[in-house]
Amino acid sequence: MSAPTAPTAAERTFQGVRRPDGAIGVRDNVLVLPSVICSHIVADRIAANVEGAVSTPHDHGCAQLGADNDQTWRTFLSLAANPNVAGTVVVGLGCEEIQSEDVAEALQSRGVPVRELSIQGVGGTDECVRRGVEFASELAAARSDEAATAGLGDLTLGLVSSDLDATTREVADPLVGEVARAVVDAGGRVVVAGNERVTAHPAAARAATVGDARDSLADLLDRHDGHPPRASGVGRAARDRSFEDATRSWGGLDVSAVVPYGDPVGIDEGLALVDAPSRFAEATTGLAAAGANVVLHATGDGVLTGHPLVPVVKVTGDEGTVAALPNDIDVDATAADADDVLDRLVDVANGRECCAEAHGLTEFAITRVGPSM
Amino acid sequence: MDATFEGYRRPDGRVGVRNYVAVIPTSVAAAAVATATADEVGAWARATPHQLGTSQPDAARRQTERVLVGIGQNPNVGAALVVELGTEDIDAEDVADRVAADGTAAETLTIREAGGTEAALDEGETRLHRLNDEVKRARREEADVAELVFGVECGGSDATSGIAANPGVGAACDRLVEAGGTACFSETPEFIGAEHILADRCVDEETRERLLDRVDARESMAELMGVDLRGAQPTPGNQEGGLTTIEEKSLGAISKGGTTPVRGIVDYAETLPVGGGLVLMDTPGYDVESVVGKVAGGAQVVAFTTGRGSTTGNPIAPVIKVTGNPQTWERMSNNIDVNAGTVFDGESIDSVGERVYETLVDVANGRRTESERRRLEEFAINEIQPEELTAEADA
Amino acid sequence: MKGRVLDDTLLLLSDDDTVGTAVDDLEAGTALDYDGRSVTLAEDVPFGHKVALEPLAAGDEVRKYGEIIGTATQSVERGEWVHTHNCESTRGRGDQAATGGETA
Repeated sequence: MSAPTAPTAAERTFQGVRRPDGAIGVRDNVLVLPSVICSHIVADRIAANVEGAVSTPHDHGCAQLGADNDQTWRTFLSLAANPNVAGTVVVGLGCEEIQSEDVAEALQSRGVPVRELSIQGVGGTDECVRRGVEFASELAAARSDEAATAGLGDLTLGLVSSDLDATTREVADPLVGEVARAVVDAGGRVVVAGNERVTAHPAAARAATVGDARDSLADLLDRHDGHPPRASGVGRAARDRSFEDATRSWGGLDVSAVVPYGDPVGIDEGLALVDAPSRFAEATTGLAAAGANVVLHATGDGVLTGHPLVPVVKVTGDEGTVAALPNDIDVDATAADADDVLDRLVDVANGRECCAEAHGLTEFAITRVGPSM
Repeated sequence: MDATFEGYRRPDGRVGVRNYVAVIPTSVAAAAVATATADEVGAWARATPHQLGTSQPDAARRQTERVLVGIGQNPNVGAALVVELGTEDIDAEDVADRVAADGTAAETLTIREAGGTEAALDEGETRLHRLNDEVKRARREEADVAELVFGVECGGSDATSGIAANPGVGAACDRLVEAGGTACFSETPEFIGAEHILADRCVDEETRERLLDRVDARESMAELMGVDLRGAQPTPGNQEGGLTTIEEKSLGAISKGGTTPVRGIVDYAETLPVGGGLVLMDTPGYDVESVVGKVAGGAQVVAFTTGRGSTTGNPIAPVIKVTGNPQTWERMSNNIDVNAGTVFDGESIDSVGERVYETLVDVANGRRTESERRRLEEFAINEIQPEELTAEADA
Repeated sequence: MKGRVLDDTLLLLSDDDTVGTAVDDLEAGTALDYDGRSVTLAEDVPFGHKVALEPLAAGDEVRKYGEIIGTATQSVERGEWVHTHNCESTRGRGDQAATGGETA
């Protein structure tokens, strides 16, 4: 695979937002984070009423045990630290397991601009929406106008292929793989979801993983030992194909880090694997928690929803899907090359809406690793 | 006290207390379109968005399907539009056919065939208006309270739940059962420590064994995860409110079903019998999933007791909030329908039960609850996790 | 409600119970009569929380609603607040199962 030739990496720049930790965001949203399902409608209403605010409604935050509870907790904290997030309003109900107060305290100690309130704390949903709008507006107003010039090396490109259809494996993934290499060559990071590929081929996965990441990979394999994959279709396909066949979107790059779902990635460049299933909404949340500022989603089916925290650029290698969903697909992999995709990524990073942002429908979900109690 | 209400008689004979067009996504990939179309057309359209995947292991997928079909068949639903992306494991046609088996009008919308998001939103809205044109022609008729399936839940519990709110709701359940209706409570982890009391009230050995079996299965999930139940059961809110152990919580929780014999125990989202007396459903304690299970089972109205102040509702069935905590009533009465905290001032449980029962009939007759007025409609489907499937296989 | 209220302070749900439930926020030092015996609150007890009506040794059953709700994890004096710091469940103990301990 040859690296793209023109324009050069130096010419692919965009205007982003520089966060206190140096990371570059390509969006500048106030996150309204419900700490539990019971407060998600209030969170949605707060965000709907504040320019520049987005909410992340989900079905969890209570009745979870041990590792399952812990995973949701860690995901919340990591999302608030995502470079696309300017500040966070944590909204709780008050009686739930993952307490909004605790989340806010943890975020504060990490230097994230944060406000917190709970429905029971303020005395009802009406009051909670009112005060939440005040808080979110404060954080939105506190956003800096300053843009920072950035390049491909400032991208943390998230990758998810939510199926392993023939067109995904043979057309979309290889294209994505070229893009991944280009980003890494420019000094950027690539974070990939899709644990089914490694659980189906542990030996090949180990061979592709370098250094300390091998220990983390062993941990991941341990966690999944004896458990069927959540995305059963992709799981089957991953088993039926070779590791190489199932991971063309990784561009042949070494796996330099393997992180649990909900954790941020520690490396500054190269490719990292996030322990996330290939379910689009769950995977993208895992990628956002890992630090992705933009996501490339290979989809044969044409899953069209975006994500509240990261722009999702949809790529398909399926001509039928391109024809069926003309306004929902950003990249027709049967016709585009890596340069086209890199240009599109830079455009999106510069603020141009991807298809999913244009229609505005998003989906947010967190991976569960235990039963509801 | 009237023993009747005005309801919508459906083709299968069951009576609804609301008259919605349900918008049911088959997977998370179709949920956003389902919600957006329903939001756009009006309050008569009710979406049931969820986060379950486009491909699930068989047992989990079957449970999801059962919930989707049950929601479509709930008597509060006059017609259903089942929405899919088009490539999911769960087939919208299949779900629609199963919904239509009881005579409910059911159609499908496939996003891929519609031409994408914008096109699906447009077509969805058109189809919903058409479905509603039929649905809104339904006229209410007099129905007996015996035709009510009353779901009962407790959430955000504290010590007042077992002392005031739950016994009060339980008294209303006794009245309804006496009048020939069905009362159903669930939340199996909240039988732990009190199951012997329920077991003694089971009408036959089969029900008794099934009940104890299900409690055992829920309790061993904690063992599965290698942790104690605390934090999940009781929750921090429960503990702040005075509940120390799951046993204490459960002993207070079971009183919400009243005192009549336990006639049966059904699976999550399994159809509840009309005129069935007191029936249990095996669900997690997790409120939103638990309420959805009962509504998918056919419950037309839900009473939800809360000490700390849960504010959740449901898109398909009106949820009546009852608190036994005077402080919660004072602070959050905007989100609560019935104050049972008066028990601490001397009102009798029976008197509270009477008020709950009256509210049930009023709500069945069309009065909107606080959560309905605010469109607080949470929806989530319990997903059988891989760990549970593995445990079942090992068992 | 079921049971009887002792001196406007504690609700006794069943005569078999070893704890009563505070029907108001109660201050330390509050005294009440429990079937001829005097019980004095050793500490503040919030509304809805429990007070020991009998002294308990570590491992003793704690009874409310006429049923066992848990066991004392340390010795408890009459009049002491009873909650998660000195009373624990015997059910749902996946932590014990994990370490090979006893479960109910």
